[in-house]
Amino acid sequence: MTSAELVRLESVTRTVVLPDESDLHILTGVDLTVREGDHIGIVGRSGTGKSTLLNLLGLLDKPTSGTLTWQGRDTARLKAREAARIRGRDLGFVFQQFNLLPGRTALENVMAPLMYASGREFWQRRRLAWETLERVGLADRVDSMPQTLSGGEQQRVAIARALVRSPRVVLADEPTGALDVETGQQVMSLLDAATLESGAALITITHDTNVAAMAREHFRLEGGRLHALAGVPA
Amino acid sequence: MSQRLDRAATGFVAAVVEAWQELRIHKLRVLLSLVGVMIAVASLTAAMAAAAIAKQVVTEQYEHDGRPALLGVWAHPMGEGVPPLPEVVRPAFFTAAEKLDIRYASMTSSMGIVTSHAGLERQAEIRIVDPAYATLHRVVPSRGRWLEEADAQNMSPAVVVGERLLRKLGLAGADLPVTIELGGTIPVTATVVGATPKGFSGSTVFMLADAYQHWFGADQPLMDAQYELWVPPKRARQLSAEARRVIAAELPGYQVDVSRMDYLAYGDEDPLREVAIVVSVIGGVILLLGALSLLNVALVTIQQRVREVGIRRSFGATTGRVFFSVLMESVVATVVAGAVGVMLAVALISNPWVAKRLIDHVDDVPAFPFEAALLGLAVSVGVGALTGVIPALVAARVKIVDAIRF
Repeated sequence: MTSAELVRLESVTRTVVLPDESDLHILTGVDLTVREGDHIGIVGRSGTGKSTLLNLLGLLDKPTSGTLTWQGRDTARLKAREAARIRGRDLGFVFQQFNLLPGRTALENVMAPLMYASGREFWQRRRLAWETLERVGLADRVDSMPQTLSGGEQQRVAIARALVRSPRVVLADEPTGALDVETGQQVMSLLDAATLESGAALITITHDTNVAAMAREHFRLEGGRLHALAGVPA
Repeated sequence: MSQRLDRAATGFVAAVVEAWQELRIHKLRVLLSLVGVMIAVASLTAAMAAAAIAKQVVTEQYEHDGRPALLGVWAHPMGEGVPPLPEVVRPAFFTAAEKLDIRYASMTSSMGIVTSHAGLERQAEIRIVDPAYATLHRVVPSRGRWLEEADAQNMSPAVVVGERLLRKLGLAGADLPVTIELGGTIPVTATVVGATPKGFSGSTVFMLADAYQHWFGADQPLMDAQYELWVPPKRARQLSAEARRVIAAELPGYQVDVSRMDYLAYGDEDPLREVAIVVSVIGGVILLLGALSLLNVALVTIQQRVREVGIRRSFGATTGRVFFSVLMESVVATVVAGAVGVMLAVALISNPWVAKRLIDHVDDVPAFPFEAALLGLAVSVGVGALTGVIPALVAARVKIVDAIRF
């Protein structure tokens, strides 16, 4: 049985105008389809457009041309409010620098996305956040401030925060970039297992081929173009 | 529809929760930035409250000369050298008052008199009045009671005496009633049934007109008197004309003049309006300075929180929600500061030392003006909203992509 399609990019380009009014083509003719449960690894060196691609996939930015659909709906026609709602409900972000909110405990950080939910999710935010932290093995650190946590623990809090609203797609940008190799492996294993368990699609953008190798589909971003790889990237 | 309502309700609650979290996390910054607002609100509220209390004090003092609307009546015989005999004018005045259905009417006349007690002798003023005089002039005895109609029948004339005169006669704090002697050659023993406050009538002795006529009328007859009517301010003009006509009809051959005598006689303008305006302007300037410092800190802070705004946008925060959350941070903070400011103002104005100086000699001791407290809170909400708008706009216009920088 084929999994449901979540995101589709067709001939997507992203161009920005530089101060000297010349065009900079960051992405050119990108095609990509993301289905439920997919684990996609995208590798590429710095400056190849990885972040721009993640911005587009996360509905934080819009393509200059081409089509980007979310569950069959052209995102070009989405209002900002609808895009925000999809982002909050169906997308989870894991950042390289963790991006935990300063001054808030691990629990408050995981509760933060639930502040934009409604109904049961909002009113039961403390319990949901606590359960998610427990899932990532941080039940004993719920009241810890980010600065008292190790890098691996901070990233696990960030993963819990990305998963707390049960998103359909998790976007991870260099999730192990600020961690040592061993901790990075542990964090990736956790992310992989958690998304596998929830059935969410996981898109990991990295320059680390070891991290990319954990995905089941592999792509390389080079010169703004996305190439599918037959095997594990070298 | 219900889903929309649910979303709006949770959005509002969440924005307040977020605002509170933000204030809790940045306690020191918030506290420092809000000191100005807190002092401004406290100053404004205290100034408004003090002005309201001062107004009460001044109003009471003005009303000792006559409560609005007080009509003064003068009646003089038209023939030269003929005195306006009170025994003729007074009955005519009260008949006219009854015809006009004016309940509060009094004669008032005064002259010098010698008072004495236990060998102490003091010159004083005796004011001859009717029982309604107390209402007309807001006379509230500090001890004992005011004069009543039945006092005219007493075997010893009842009097109400100023506390200052009682002290001079060695009767400071004496239990009432006590007796004093009135008049020089053949003194009359009068019974002091009440005392008026120090700040009011000093060394005055109040006595009913009938009692005066009985005890002193033969030796020291009243030669002249003024008559007063207390009427509703809105009908003062009309009743003034009617009183003149009716009294003139009761007193053929008399020239009758009626005119308004209270402090609002020349218009309903609040005599303390200018003071209130000056106080408000000073409070406004203090508030403006507090608001500017708050805005300054808020703008600097929001620039430092661009990344956080970006992260929140990635969680699904809409532009409107970011705007509202930042605005609420400012409003919640100023409301807290305003509440503290109002409490400070209440504590200051209600402080016994301050209260004694503000409300000494006031008959109706005013409570802390509720409207001043409400104004303080409303102003703090307003300042919060106004100073929150600009940082909220800055936060709402943050580009997510720039803010997050993956």
